[in-house]
Amino acid sequence: MALLDVRDLMKTFRRGARQVQAIDRFSLTVEEGEFVAIVGPSGCGKSTFLHILGGFEPHDGGTMLLNGAPVEGPGPDRGMLFQEFALYPWRSVIGNVGWALEVQGMPKAKRVAAAEKYLKLVGLSAFRDSYPAELSGGMKQRVALARVLAFEPRILLMDEPFGALDAQTRELMQEELNAIWQQTRNTVLFVTHDIDEAIYLADRVVVFTARPGRLKDEFEIELERPRRADVRKTAAYMAYRNRVWDSLRDEVLKAREEFR
Amino acid sequence: MSRARVAAIPAPYSRARRAALGLALPLAALIAWELSARFGTVPSYLIAPSVIFATTWEMAASGELWQHTSASLVRAMGGYAIGGAAGIAMGLLAGIARPVERFYDPIVSLTYPVPKIVVLPILIAWLGSGDASKIAVVTAAVFYPTFINAMYGAKGVNRIYVWSARNMGANAAQVFAKVILPAALPQVLTGSRIGLALAFIVTVAAEMQNSRGGLGHLVIAAEDSMRFDLMYSAIVAIAIIGFAGDRVLVALRRRALAGQALGKEGAHG
Repeated sequence: MALLDVRDLMKTFRRGARQVQAIDRFSLTVEEGEFVAIVGPSGCGKSTFLHILGGFEPHDGGTMLLNGAPVEGPGPDRGMLFQEFALYPWRSVIGNVGWALEVQGMPKAKRVAAAEKYLKLVGLSAFRDSYPAELSGGMKQRVALARVLAFEPRILLMDEPFGALDAQTRELMQEELNAIWQQTRNTVLFVTHDIDEAIYLADRVVVFTARPGRLKDEFEIELERPRRADVRKTAAYMAYRNRVWDSLRDEVLKAREEFR
Repeated sequence: MSRARVAAIPAPYSRARRAALGLALPLAALIAWELSARFGTVPSYLIAPSVIFATTWEMAASGELWQHTSASLVRAMGGYAIGGAAGIAMGLLAGIARPVERFYDPIVSLTYPVPKIVVLPILIAWLGSGDASKIAVVTAAVFYPTFINAMYGAKGVNRIYVWSARNMGANAAQVFAKVILPAALPQVLTGSRIGLALAFIVTVAAEMQNSRGGLGHLVIAAEDSMRFDLMYSAIVAIAIIGFAGDRVLVALRRRALAGQALGKEGAHG
């Protein structure tokens, strides 16, 4: 049985008389320990899908099973990483990383030890007492990652987590996430519009159509792990990139038509 | 190219230099005032600062000034505590619950622009001419800025903060106490600061209308007996307690917002 089983998911946004169908019969399964990336043109509903899965948005049809149980409302079995980091500015770094454990009632000593362990994993132990406002964008997202990892969710939901970072920082963060994943082996659902990011990180790349979002193609990425940064220069990688881009290109063009 | 030249960066102002800058204007005005009073080029109601200081000192030494000051403080702080607590509590509630906001919105919009001091006669008829009516009018005045700021503070909390809290397993009470409250705190404190100034303003205004004792009463009593020096003593006392109260709030704010204030000043990306 797959860890995550989404079937025929439907979502329509309504504002007054206006209706926009965001997702149309989208289905996806994710196995335990698998890293799946979802790519699609902007506005295709891929982030909406993640928000529904996170329990923040209602859906209008279909089923979502996590570990066999239906997904209802937000909960710590799904760890959400937002593009905007969502760190609490009034809390120090260690206070942010331990936040989930605190509200879940873990005693302080245990909580701090766990937070320190994950802070070390993302390489930010030296900044434990800093405040988020003192960190760079890349560091903030590493703290946010440590915070999500600390409560040990069954699946990580990453919503364009590196979208707010500059190109160089983004590439380093991808390498870092790859290295961390190599150690933790979490199940990950990673939404992005960046094909390179998707191929470099994922075991499988799923292509969304233009709105309404539907499953268009799936590509198994059989690049050897652990992946080094220069895997991006190999012929096999370029072949994947071309195939994914061919699939995505039409959808990007369609999405662009709509905004004209 | 030769070595890049380091631009001359002005040294940051020291605490003393900053304080000196802020004191320059009041000090210059005071000296000018004193000199003109000494050499007789100002009207008689502009008493020389040295005379005002002497009168204030005398009043303080006799304990009379403190009596008036404490009477005013009881009224101002009583109204501030009640109005502020109610304003913050209701405002936060209105900020997170739409029905509460809808309940308050028309009445707040309608009564906000009304100067609260105009209801003092009604409050006196109802509560008598003692402290209760004055505390009540201060309460009403303080309620509005604290309510409005707390409401917008709570309404403006980043949705992502709440989402990520729910994602991490927080229940509704935890989301309120550990996310909404700290996130709204800067604006809650802004409202509290405006409310504090209003508390002093309305207290003195109420005391000038109808009172036994208090700094507002002292101003009126001094006017009646043509004691302009006394009037200035009362004004000095009002200014000092207002200034002290504001400084206390600013210091509290700095402590409470240790992490949040960083982002506003910092140049980190």
